[in-house]
Amino acid sequence: MNRFSFWRLLPFAVLIIFTAPLLIVLSTLFGSYSENWFHLYEFVLTDYIISSVILVLGVSILVLVLGTVTAWTVTTYNFKGKKVFEWALILPLAIPPYILAYTFTGLFDPFGDANNFIRSIFNLKDSTIIFPNVRNIYGAIVVFAFTLYPYVYLVSRSAFINQSKSMQEAARLLGLNQLEVFYKLALPLIRPAAIGGMMLVIMETLSDFGAVDHFAIQTFTTGIFRTWYGLYDLQTAMQLASLLLLTVGVFYFVERSSRGNGIYTSNNSTFSPNEEVNLTGLKATTAFLICFIPIFIGFILPIVELSLWAYEVNLGFFNNKFLENSFNTLSLSFLTGLICAFLALIINFSIRYKPSALVGRFSALLSIGYAVPGLILAVGMVQLLVYLDNLAFSGFDIVLTGSLFGLVLAYVIKTYALANSSIESGYERISYSLDDSSKLLGSTSWNMLGNIHIPLLKTSILTSVLLVMSDVVKELPATLILRPFNFETLAVSTYIYASEERMLQAAAPAIAIVLIGLIPIVLLSKMIRSSRPIENRE
Amino acid sequence: MNNILEIINLSHAYSKNENSITGIDLDIQEGERVSILGPSGCGKSTLLRLIAGLEKPNQGEIKIKGIKVSSKEKLLPPEKRNVGLVVQDKALFPHLSVYANICFGIKKNKTKDDMTSELLTLFKIENLKSKYPHEISGGEQQRVALARSLATNPDLLMLDEPFSALDKDLKETLYSEISLVFSERKTTILLVTHDQNEAELMTERQIKMEKGSFLG
Repeated sequence: MNRFSFWRLLPFAVLIIFTAPLLIVLSTLFGSYSENWFHLYEFVLTDYIISSVILVLGVSILVLVLGTVTAWTVTTYNFKGKKVFEWALILPLAIPPYILAYTFTGLFDPFGDANNFIRSIFNLKDSTIIFPNVRNIYGAIVVFAFTLYPYVYLVSRSAFINQSKSMQEAARLLGLNQLEVFYKLALPLIRPAAIGGMMLVIMETLSDFGAVDHFAIQTFTTGIFRTWYGLYDLQTAMQLASLLLLTVGVFYFVERSSRGNGIYTSNNSTFSPNEEVNLTGLKATTAFLICFIPIFIGFILPIVELSLWAYEVNLGFFNNKFLENSFNTLSLSFLTGLICAFLALIINFSIRYKPSALVGRFSALLSIGYAVPGLILAVGMVQLLVYLDNLAFSGFDIVLTGSLFGLVLAYVIKTYALANSSIESGYERISYSLDDSSKLLGSTSWNMLGNIHIPLLKTSILTSVLLVMSDVVKELPATLILRPFNFETLAVSTYIYASEERMLQAAAPAIAIVLIGLIPIVLLSKMIRSSRPIENRE
Repeated sequence: MNNILEIINLSHAYSKNENSITGIDLDIQEGERVSILGPSGCGKSTLLRLIAGLEKPNQGEIKIKGIKVSSKEKLLPPEKRNVGLVVQDKALFPHLSVYANICFGIKKNKTKDDMTSELLTLFKIENLKSKYPHEISGGEQQRVALARSLATNPDLLMLDEPFSALDKDLKETLYSEISLVFSERKTTILLVTHDQNEAELMTERQIKMEKGSFLG
């Protein structure tokens, strides 16, 4: 066997490109430590850790409950509104946490719209406050959970749909009722998928700056930003970022190794999907509310608030600049989606085609970019591009630095985990016996990839492109740092307005971000539904 | 002897134009081993699904131990019927070990270990108890599926072409071993198969079925 075949070397080549900016950041751990570092270590680092842990735990529990229970409800039961909920449950994915945070304070602050509305209806005094304060860690947990649960919902739904009816029937015949089938069998069976989705949520939560900063919560990211912009100490900021990166790395590898010896897919050749149970009366209402509440909090409320703000400025925002920003955002996100899906596909194929424990372990590192705060990734990228410019284009003006190349590369590194998660879980459902048969029939590697895997992974590939797109549309800090001069996206535009406290003007690009984020989400929902296997029966 | 299963004039159709089974009558006594022989598509599996409560019949009724469990108006859920069903694809839970698969349906914690150990010994799979379904052979998987279905002490165990995916030699071995287990435990069996030899070796009464009806 050729130890240095294309398929063996590919993951390493991509790994070098992906980890270069991160290694630049990590290398600061071995550099000198300033006074600021010791100050942070002594006075605030414990607070950063405690807040981050509470945030991650709260968000994880809430997204697991929201994501799996809603996914089970729409795949197992038939009730009024179910067809709408199937796709509507992923709508909150279009709302970045920082936008939900802005609208939450706009709604629930003592003189926010929600409090004003209730006071006006019941003719209450101005001192009467109905809703609890949301500017705290619990408010942040709610904001993250209700915007990010679709990551768990999407993978859980896909996994529930692909669970064979025969297994659930066997459980029923062994004495389990519907509820017991859910938590004793169906839920453990989707553990890898649900935990995979939850890991994405954790990484997203730890990477966020906008929402936690808005709620004034001291986490690693706010610490990094304050150290950079407040203390102007980039070295210490990168050292803090390195700690965060290592923490996330531990999460990632613990999850990978926790899967044990059990496998989670069945090789049954007689797969048939589950039949839905019809619900009426109180049970149907309960199912309706289980699905409606997450959509209401995570999508309807912020959209209503943003629309009210946008309405106040009429159509003044609709101009050439707005259209140009929208085009920039769409084209960049689509390009990134294609690159990520292509890379995830060929890397997962190479790991499967030329299995090697070493390659498998190293390839896991490729997804860690998702956990890196965009700003830190951007700094690492800037330093990498400057180095490459000096190396390759010495004597010319700067070529790569400040170009779209660096921006797209940063997006790819940051969102590759999304594409990989979808394609990897797609690959887990393809039996190895198909590969063996294909090899025995004389298929080459490219033939197997093109004629067997890609058709079977169609849904996973599209899912990965769309997940990446909806994430890139929202990406703010990396875009701010790496964008070419005078190049704006919708997220940058929203940020600039919001930082100038012009929330009414920020509403329009924020809505556009949401609307663009919706396109892949609607397509995704349709694609998943059409991928539902057809039942065979004697 | 007590009547375990009683089927009266049972008919079922998946679509309006096509009847899967028509006018089936069947009685099975406690401890009896009965097989239904017929070609693919004759409605054998549908009959088992109706008895298990996985489908609701269009006409007729099913009684288990004298209690009506299925009719056009009534459908007792599968988990309340105390019947077992082993199918060709085994439906083993892939994320659970052999041991965990077998004790999955046992409700009483006190007897769980004893019962599971007894079944592991009975089906000669003690050495596989910590393995996962994908780590064992097809014949071993079938033993696990049978052991799992007996763990709940079902009043009636139904077998849907359980050995059809296995090779001839393995089948012969399993027929004699498993028949012995069933007769020792006095398990009431309803086997459906298209294999005459299997039906004769495993059961004492054979019924032929064609196009959704019993012959003779």
